Amino acid sequence: MSNIIHVSHLTKDYKKGKGVFDLSFSVGKGEAFGFLGPNGAGKTTTIRQLMGFIRPTSGTVSINGMDCFLQAATIQKDVGYLPGELPLPEDLTGEQFISFIAKLKGISDIFYAHQLMQRFQLDGKQKMRKMSKGTRQKVGIVAAFMGQPQIFILDEPTSGLDPLMQNEFIQLVLEQKAKGCTIFLSSHIFEEVERTCDRVAILRKGKIASIQPIDTLRHQQSREFHFSFSSQEGATVFYQKMGGTLQEKTVILLSGKEQLPSILQMASSLDICDLSTKSQSLEDTFLAFYGEEQK
Amino acid sequence: MNLTLFRRDFLQNKLLIIIIAAVTAMYSIVVISMFDPALGESLELMMESMPDLFAAFGMTNAGNTLIEFIANYLYGFLFVLLPLVLIVIVTNKLVVRPQDKGTLGWLLATPVSRSKIAVTKAVTLIYTILLEILWILLCCIGASEILFSGELDIQRFLLLNSGLFCLLSLFGGICSCSGCIFSDSTLGTGVSSGICIAFVLLQMLSQVGEETEWLKYLTPLTLFDSTSIAQGDFSVVPILMLLLASIFFFGMGIFVFCKKDFSV
Repeated sequence: MSNIIHVSHLTKDYKKGKGVFDLSFSVGKGEAFGFLGPNGAGKTTTIRQLMGFIRPTSGTVSINGMDCFLQAATIQKDVGYLPGELPLPEDLTGEQFISFIAKLKGISDIFYAHQLMQRFQLDGKQKMRKMSKGTRQKVGIVAAFMGQPQIFILDEPTSGLDPLMQNEFIQLVLEQKAKGCTIFLSSHIFEEVERTCDRVAILRKGKIASIQPIDTLRHQQSREFHFSFSSQEGATVFYQKMGGTLQEKTVILLSGKEQLPSILQMASSLDICDLSTKSQSLEDTFLAFYGEEQK
Repeated sequence: MNLTLFRRDFLQNKLLIIIIAAVTAMYSIVVISMFDPALGESLELMMESMPDLFAAFGMTNAGNTLIEFIANYLYGFLFVLLPLVLIVIVTNKLVVRPQDKGTLGWLLATPVSRSKIAVTKAVTLIYTILLEILWILLCCIGASEILFSGELDIQRFLLLNSGLFCLLSLFGGICSCSGCIFSDSTLGTGVSSGICIAFVLLQMLSQVGEETEWLKYLTPLTLFDSTSIAQGDFSVVPILMLLLASIFFFGMGIFVFCKKDFSV
């Protein structure tokens, strides 16, 4: 598998601890690489360097073997880019903007763009300034995908989309992956990455904390279980056996999927009356694994 | 140079260009219609009563010919400041706002190189200035021919406008250069328009009296001496200096644009 994206000891120092520091990773052809991290971790800073918007303080970043800053224009022929924040020219309609970008990209056939617009139910006649966040996101998606590039750089791509459209978008990404495209997807939402990516880098405070296959991370992902009991005794017994946190008649447990059967057996033998689960946020997951030693 | 981007950038300013063109036309026609060789005397009387005020606006000598009259009343102040407003707003839309709002990211994410983007934006600005000059020519020559047929010395008038074009190009160069250097939108527009307005004010002050005359060495507007050109005293060197300075600032702007970190 040849490397499409190659990042080596990449540092962009904005001082006061901001920026990204000594990042190294590669993304192979046809691979979907997730870039997970909480807000402010340096995801967008990394992407700006991949796109050639800013220059690294030190280290190198290349796509298809070309320097991302110096040969940005050549690289862009093969890249579809979807920014996280979508500042669109307010005076244009969606259709006007899409055809403007298509011309700049040298895309003469906009049949596919229209297909995408239909697929995402995008009304192209609307002025951008009147569009909701989700609708703007759809414009961005069409602009990024219409050229059918080989490489996708997607920065928090589903923000603002409703669940139905999020699903449609993930399908679209999976189709590109099946076609052999290389995908770099940044997100702070675990599910988004989980459904599309093969490997995931976790970024924290500008540094890569780990790079793992998605399966490993999936197994480590734990959930919060809230077990509510009808009697105080039940709750106390459960708490003594299982640990966690006791709040009146509710026990809050942090657990992976593996231990689930035994926990449920235990709970059902007591007077359990309610069970709810909550997925952990990325930050929580992260702290759960790396928290103590990182602090 | 990218035609798609040029079209988009130019048309973005169409409303502003139309407004400035309308104001230009109005002033051209009104001022030229005021020309009356006989009336010149009464204007001179007025000027004698408050010479400083008239001098500040570049109206030192009403002149006897139509071109001197036009040079005095229009090229001393109005046709410098009005296009300056146009230049500041156009540069803001072309260079400053795309960085500030982040829409520049879309351009950088296309196979159009940075140098092409920068050159296209510079050409768009120069083209806009050129259009304004051509419009001035059309309005003034048109009004002169209709109202005072044959009175206007067309050849001198063309020279006058080539000088104005070089001066305005310098303003354009300063504005686009500052727009490329500063990432902050307030600074990007503020610094350049501040400098240009200071140049205009310095020239106004330098014309008021002898004590302040030395100020003329601080402003490039001195290089465009509309009165002398109207009197037939056209020298290439100062105009060429304006042009070279303009090329320098445009070049520097393009250079900075190609090297800059854009956090968009």
